[in-house]
Amino acid sequence: MKTLLGNLKLAFFLAFKSMFKGNKWALGLIIVVMAFSFVNLIFTSSVISGVMATMDNQMINTVFSNVIISPREDKYYIERADEVEAKIRQISGVTETCSHLNSSGFIEYGWKEKGLPWDRVKSGNWNILGIDPAQEAKVTTIGHNMIDGQYLDETDTNSIVLGVEVAGGEKAQTSGFLTLGGVNVGDKVRVTYPNGIQREYTVKGIFRAREMMQADHLAFVTNREMVSVLGRPQFFNRASEILVRAENNGIEDSLAGELRSTGLDLEIRSWREYGGAYRSVISTFEIIGTIIGGTGLIVAAIVMFIVIYINVISKKRQIGILRAIGIPQNTVLGSYLIQALSYALLGIILGWFIIRLVLQPYFIFNPIDFPFGFLSLNIESSRIIGSAIALTAASVLAGLIPSWAVMRESIIKTLWGV
Amino acid sequence: MISVKNLIKNYGHGHSAVQALKGIDLKIAAGEFVAIMGRSGSGKSTLLRILGLLDMPTGGEVKIDGVDALKLAEKERARFRLEKLGYVFQEHSLISELNVLENVYLPAVADLANINYRKRAKEILDMVGLKDRIRHYPSEISGGEQQRVAIARALVNQPRTLFADEPTASLDMESSQIVLDLFRKLNRDLGQTIVMVTHEPEDRQYVDRVIWMKDGRIDNG
Repeated sequence: MKTLLGNLKLAFFLAFKSMFKGNKWALGLIIVVMAFSFVNLIFTSSVISGVMATMDNQMINTVFSNVIISPREDKYYIERADEVEAKIRQISGVTETCSHLNSSGFIEYGWKEKGLPWDRVKSGNWNILGIDPAQEAKVTTIGHNMIDGQYLDETDTNSIVLGVEVAGGEKAQTSGFLTLGGVNVGDKVRVTYPNGIQREYTVKGIFRAREMMQADHLAFVTNREMVSVLGRPQFFNRASEILVRAENNGIEDSLAGELRSTGLDLEIRSWREYGGAYRSVISTFEIIGTIIGGTGLIVAAIVMFIVIYINVISKKRQIGILRAIGIPQNTVLGSYLIQALSYALLGIILGWFIIRLVLQPYFIFNPIDFPFGFLSLNIESSRIIGSAIALTAASVLAGLIPSWAVMRESIIKTLWGV
Repeated sequence: MISVKNLIKNYGHGHSAVQALKGIDLKIAAGEFVAIMGRSGSGKSTLLRILGLLDMPTGGEVKIDGVDALKLAEKERARFRLEKLGYVFQEHSLISELNVLENVYLPAVADLANINYRKRAKEILDMVGLKDRIRHYPSEISGGEQQRVAIARALVNQPRTLFADEPTASLDMESSQIVLDLFRKLNRDLGQTIVMVTHEPEDRQYVDRVIWMKDGRIDNG
């Protein structure tokens, strides 16, 4: 035990003397290389994770909320929606609910200028949601994403709010011929519902929820308007779906389970079950992230191997001298492992500061404007810890191999190369 | 006391094999100051490296203070080198990141029995005349001073035998003289056994005995 501690003490002494009394520039360079290897490992995966987190949040905030309640398969509507909502709000973990009365609708813009009835220019079929604007604002963020005009009021009956991908124009991502071609606030659009009822609405606002796959392809009217279109009294207090907002994202599955246990005769699903194509996009991103992360780790390990290899090779004669004067082989080996470990740890600490004090604040203040939202880095603690452990292990291995190779050579060869 | 019997060292195998030592027999008594001399390629450095346990022979026997040194395992040989032998190389043998004092006490730190290693290192540095240089780094002192530091390092664990491989080869006349005077002093005052390989004929005046080598054999005739 005494020998082990003594050898360890000597290994630390040699390692730190070699690091801090050696070439300062070389030490700085090694640590900077390590730091950026670590940053590279975290940064790339954090961008991908940020993409996934942004997409998830956008879907939750604009389309699905956390839990979606819909009628059983053999039914079209949820009856006595207000009673169901009241019951749901009693459940712990639920913060708010809102109901939608949905219909499809054929929306036309500039129909008076159209030539033939089948001329589909500036028209198309979209989903139209009948909402309670005040309640909707507590559950989704559509109302906060108006790029022109205003959101609906509860009393509006002749107004419609359009998603930017319905309205079209310069801010839309969808090709012009698949939109209404550039509707402006104040313009009139005509909606033909499946039951044949035709209404003219004034466009009150246009929103861009940055959820271009679904939310931005929706149109909103008030629930009162939708009930009147579909027909009172059958549709009064009915809902096509109820969105449930949870206290925190991530508890959807347990919350859905709790809601099911209340005995509601309804379909209760977490938003993830509706993800569909999104989930496959996200899982693709996850695969890409894993590949990039793995590649980054290999690159970092190779960089460290080269750096430590050069360090060991340049001190080959010194290793020979230490062995010749009787310093135990394990002590010399230990000193190089301690150096490798120290390079890795100092690099990780510097890298962590670069991430936390430079990159993260930069992306918070300058988020990337992606079509599906503003993208920031999503730096997960588990990823930092995992990367730090992986990088440390890689550096120790990278330090061990060349040191061990030199240590296996005879003292004569190490000293004189013969 | 060093006793060598029928020491053979071959480099390479088969037809390309070179016989560097061709059956050496010799004895060096405790307290002797011996020089091994001979032309380049005579095998003197090979012999010194084997005696210093830095290299293994192809055959033969080396006993140092009664210990059959060649039968020791690698770890035991390292321990033996640390505790019983001192080694002074030709040049550049100091650790550049350690100052003079640290270079000297390094083997003493590894030898856990030597708990007063700082004190001991300072005493030896005083003895070799480098008391005022203990905080200097190798790059800050002359070649002669570096060799004296190397001698101090070799002595810190109070070894029975000191091996020196052409210790003055890279030094100027004055520095060489200082180093050799120091060896002589150590030998006379402390009874230190010293085995030194040298090329310089004038070094003979410092030693008790010269072992001449020629073509891998001892040639004292």
